[in-house]
Amino acid sequence: MTTPILEVRGISKRFGGVQAVKDLSFTVGKGEILGLLGPNGAGKTTAFNMIAGFLRPDAGTVLLDGINIAGKRPWDVCKAGIARTFQLSKPFGDLNVIENLMVGGFCRTSDRGKIRERAEWMADFLGMGRQREAEANNLTAFDRRKLELGRALCTEPRLLLMDEVVAGATPSEASEMVELVRRIRGMGISVLIVEHVMKVIMSLSDRVVVLDYGELIADGEPQRVVAEPRVLKAYFGERYVQSRA
Amino acid sequence: MNTRSITAPQRSVAGLPMGALAAGLGFGCVALIPLLMDDPFLIHSLIMVLFFAYMASAWNFLCGYVGQLSLGHAMFSGVGGYVSVLMFTQLGLSPWIGMLFGGLLAAALSVLIGYPTFRLKGPYFTLTTIAFAEIVRIWVENTNDFIGVPLKGAEGLVVPAAGDSLWAFQFSSKTPYFYIILVMLVLVMLATRLMERSKLGYCLKAVRGDRDAAEALGINPTPSTLTALAISAFMTALGGSFYAQFFRYINPERNMGLELSIDMAVMTIIGGQGTVAGPLLGALILTPISEMARGHLGGGLPGLHLVVYGLVLMACVLYFPKGAIAPLGRLVRRLTDRRGSRP
Repeated sequence: MTTPILEVRGISKRFGGVQAVKDLSFTVGKGEILGLLGPNGAGKTTAFNMIAGFLRPDAGTVLLDGINIAGKRPWDVCKAGIARTFQLSKPFGDLNVIENLMVGGFCRTSDRGKIRERAEWMADFLGMGRQREAEANNLTAFDRRKLELGRALCTEPRLLLMDEVVAGATPSEASEMVELVRRIRGMGISVLIVEHVMKVIMSLSDRVVVLDYGELIADGEPQRVVAEPRVLKAYFGERYVQSRA
Repeated sequence: MNTRSITAPQRSVAGLPMGALAAGLGFGCVALIPLLMDDPFLIHSLIMVLFFAYMASAWNFLCGYVGQLSLGHAMFSGVGGYVSVLMFTQLGLSPWIGMLFGGLLAAALSVLIGYPTFRLKGPYFTLTTIAFAEIVRIWVENTNDFIGVPLKGAEGLVVPAAGDSLWAFQFSSKTPYFYIILVMLVLVMLATRLMERSKLGYCLKAVRGDRDAAEALGINPTPSTLTALAISAFMTALGGSFYAQFFRYINPERNMGLELSIDMAVMTIIGGQGTVAGPLLGALILTPISEMARGHLGGGLPGLHLVVYGLVLMACVLYFPKGAIAPLGRLVRRLTDRRGSRP
């Protein structure tokens, strides 16, 4: 594996009586696409939120290029070089595409000209050049997802956290998103992706980690990990694993 | 099309954007009215329209862009008014200086109140702003003397006559007041326009769109909203000072009552919040309606003008949820497009 850009060491989070994430550790390499898998309620989004600063871990550290960012607020995490998208996309509905993208740009500079230029470039990169003056409220669900992705990229991150970006997408839209993520990696940005669509995860990820009940149960190459009995048990239950044995 | 768009390509004439040109022409024409018509009632009515447009614009500077409904802004107006009047009556300082001090005090007070309240959202925020404003109003209403400073409670303060004097902010004719409030309105609209295109404007609009998404993009909402709140409170206090000087009288009910806060908010919502011209349009629509309802209906049925307000607000929310500026903007664009497409 390449030098890690993100090192998650023993993070935990409890909500009342529920241990959402327990002593979770994994790394993301520079330029790597890492898939974060697990059944519903496994703790993927909680882990995501702890890395992005939306939740404070009860224990553990999150190192970005060796600097601990655990417990920092979301805007500081963003400025440190981590951008994220949300499970339910959150565009700024009454702003147009370019304005949405420009909001991300102010994270690095106050030069409006440069920000606008980058936003124009990003709209073309996303394939939304013809919709640049369209209000975000009038975009399709998939275009809103792309817009949110572009907005995150405008913050010039080193690591991008993507939370279920192809949820509800058609097969052709999913392929378009896969292609976009590959191009983003081509720009030197590392990606941590949470996804339920296995076809997307298998074709995109260099490596996957699997969570179940808040704990890490597997870490490795996608083809090998998805065949591991613990992973199959987590997704399909004990009986399925026994029937295969 | 997006009426709030601030990056849409603009048509220009001699290097000036069409919007700026139209606004300049419009204000130029308004400035000519006192020279062409010498009707004190007309000038007084225009001053009221411009005053409410100014106050609504000051409210819009924060609330329109950050999407929170404050119904406590009249408190800042009261602070500005009382400080300028007291500095004039007690210290003999020009109300122009008092105006600035009042503005600064209102800005400081707004930050103190805003820091805890901006953590609240929706109705909780609105109720808290009402509570703070009402506490201050009731305190002033029931205080005759505060550490030796005469506030004269509900009775209010009268500004002693000082003759026709720019220094004392007193004029025998209404025309100078007209030009002062016109300049104040132009300045607040320019400030809003500048803010809209600045980093602060983008931050506020992002927070209005979705607070979590804004934070994920590196925006810390607290400094942005507090900065805008302080500027908004400062401008509201200047308006309050103007109001006190214009009527040469100030009391808690008129200058810092809930009704003034409602006026500012409703005019902005009806005109179009989060836009530069929306509050002006709202004041143009509502001030005459309010004056007529008060004049013709208020005597027999007190408070009826508020019912009229409510009906206009309901119609606006139903048919123009983005304010009256939205259909007007569409109409202007359609007309300019038609003209532009002519050979």
